[in-house]
Amino acid sequence: MATIIGGIGTSHVPTIAMAFDRGKQADPDWAPLFAGYEPAAAWLADKQPDVLVFCANDHATTFFFDHYPTFALGVGDEYAIADEGLGPRPIPRLRGHAALARHIACSLVEDEFDLTIFQGLPLDHGLHSPLTMMWPSRPDWPGQVVPLMVNVLQHPMPTPRRCFKLGHHLRKAILSYPDDLKVAIVGTGGLSHQLIGERAGFNNEPWDREFLELIERDPERLAAMSLDDFRRLGGNEGAEVIMWLIMRGAIAPAARAIHRSYYLPMTTAMAVAVFE
Amino acid sequence: MANYLFDLERSAKGLRINRFLHSFATAAVRARFAGDPEQAMADAGLDDVERDMIRRRDWRALMEHGASFFCLEKLARATGVSNPEMVAAFRGETLAQFLATRRVPGAR
Repeated sequence: MATIIGGIGTSHVPTIAMAFDRGKQADPDWAPLFAGYEPAAAWLADKQPDVLVFCANDHATTFFFDHYPTFALGVGDEYAIADEGLGPRPIPRLRGHAALARHIACSLVEDEFDLTIFQGLPLDHGLHSPLTMMWPSRPDWPGQVVPLMVNVLQHPMPTPRRCFKLGHHLRKAILSYPDDLKVAIVGTGGLSHQLIGERAGFNNEPWDREFLELIERDPERLAAMSLDDFRRLGGNEGAEVIMWLIMRGAIAPAARAIHRSYYLPMTTAMAVAVFE
Repeated sequence: MANYLFDLERSAKGLRINRFLHSFATAAVRARFAGDPEQAMADAGLDDVERDMIRRRDWRALMEHGASFFCLEKLARATGVSNPEMVAAFRGETLAQFLATRRVPGAR
């Protein structure tokens, strides 16, 4: 049977990918970011999960507002790297675990989460900006992914409660997969940032620190908050941290953070946490 | 202070400009725009107001018009503009003014 070995919460800022692709590891402005990801990379190298289930979002790249899905599950065996205006990043195509993804699709729809299903589409930085910090991409990825894409761009967005519940049912789906697979869940987004309006540039480090505590110790309290609460505390775009609640709902309730890092250099607070 | 929440009303209002901005995720569109921006905008059916905002790269006006930040990002990447430059424009600041408010101004 499949097992869930733990989870990772991580920002997915595009500049994380830029820093990686430009080899900024030794640049003092970026070194703290790379240092923060080292324990997450070491954990993945040690635990060797077969599959990473990624709770992430598309940034009006693959999906556009002529048809923007609320929850979309990728069921393909391969995902191209999306062009976001500069050409695709120079990293290998992602390999998908189609059989697990199909199983998750059936299980979640059976549980009344009526997902959009996609295949054969490219994925943007929402998934692979953190991935290259944690998983070796050369010569090829060490495992496969299942992308679960969430609408955190266009309101109405799913509520924090709905995301937490989806995580619970995602757990049930994965644990009922018959083959022996080691699965880790990755929740992406945040932390505090606002990109638009006069409040652009807003951050809230005290709230970010509190969020990192609550996602570990009291996710129920986060699930009970409204999206307005998340926007007020973490900025309009920072509310995307509700995707961490999917991850938190899918890992063991008793899981504890074994690593946390936080870096706020520019516009978006960049955090990574490992839960086991 | 307006919150610029990207809701269905804003999405409907900005659909045409967002479709144009989104198209910059395609290399052929970028090449066409670089070669003849006026023709590219005409082909996309942009009205005079929209063409003027694109010509001037008036990020703030585009945002107020209904452009999604994530669609604006495509045009920005294609034309060599960074996110801190866009964020500064939304705040009504120069890039230098915005960077002075940041902890690590070189991290961009």
